[in-house]
Amino acid sequence: MHELSLVQGLLGQLESLAGQHGASRILKVRVSIGEESCIVEDSFRFGFDAIKTESSLTERAELQIQKVPGSDLMLMQVEME
Amino acid sequence: MCKSCGCHISPDTDKSTTRASKHDNSKIVDVHKSLLEANRRQAEKNRHHIEAMGAVAINMISSPGSGKTTLLEATIDRLGDRLRIGVIEGDIETERDAERIRKKGVPVVQLTTGGACHLDAPLVHKGLHELEALAHEKSGPFFDLIFIENVGNLVCPATFDLGEHRRIVLLSVPEGSDKPAKYPAVFSTADLFLITKTDLIKYFDFSVKEAVSEAKRIKPSLESMEISSKTGDGLDEWCEYLESLCN
Repeated sequence: MHELSLVQGLLGQLESLAGQHGASRILKVRVSIGEESCIVEDSFRFGFDAIKTESSLTERAELQIQKVPGSDLMLMQVEME
Repeated sequence: MCKSCGCHISPDTDKSTTRASKHDNSKIVDVHKSLLEANRRQAEKNRHHIEAMGAVAINMISSPGSGKTTLLEATIDRLGDRLRIGVIEGDIETERDAERIRKKGVPVVQLTTGGACHLDAPLVHKGLHELEALAHEKSGPFFDLIFIENVGNLVCPATFDLGEHRRIVLLSVPEGSDKPAKYPAVFSTADLFLITKTDLIKYFDFSVKEAVSEAKRIKPSLESMEISSKTGDGLDEWCEYLESLCN
């Protein structure tokens, strides 16, 4: 379940991005997961949905995952207001 | 998708990092940033730190119970008087592995992850400082070889660079020779593949040929060795490999 610690890292990034852009709510989060990254998409999503409700910033955020070649995990795009 | 009309927002054509969404007052920010980047940066720092200590670091990855600690004990017995060895032990709980290594008289630091299934670079950074402090009391903060024994797990540790110079994956005979095919990621990132507990091969349906050929299919350049820490078979080759890294 290393997905959970990766999700925590993601939520930290979302908080600082929201701060930079003066946003109070994250609407959509797009991430890409490399096919060889050893990151399980379902576990990542489960972790995200479990932790996002801890903050009003992310409680309604929708996670969109794209599988790509390679081994990286990337935060691609965030929609916020 | 936009809430009001259901359109797809394309991340491609717009080169700007921030733009207003067309249909409501939300804002779209293109980030394109690796979430593993922070770990990677710390791993690079660790590598420099290890090199400043004069050492080469080895990240040992395997399932629980495949013989990582036993191999370390056997390795220290053989090389401990020739090489300055330090060990960082990673476990979810307990000091048990560190206690075993401590009995061999080498500096050892136990990192407990408190639940996490892998070590990451920030934890190892902490471990390196502790190891340095321990060694300083004895003979100065210098090493030839630092072993980082990862948390027993054949999946998650593969994602995290710790700052090691070589990544070694162990597979013990009782686990079965199909594991490289089933857990390809860890084999694709390894520099050496050790088949351990080979003294048990007569009791198990384990094919060295299958394990090695599957591992080579995943990573053609991956070298393998067969080892029994119990009988000592293969330890000469293993120790020669380690000494060649330190020269």
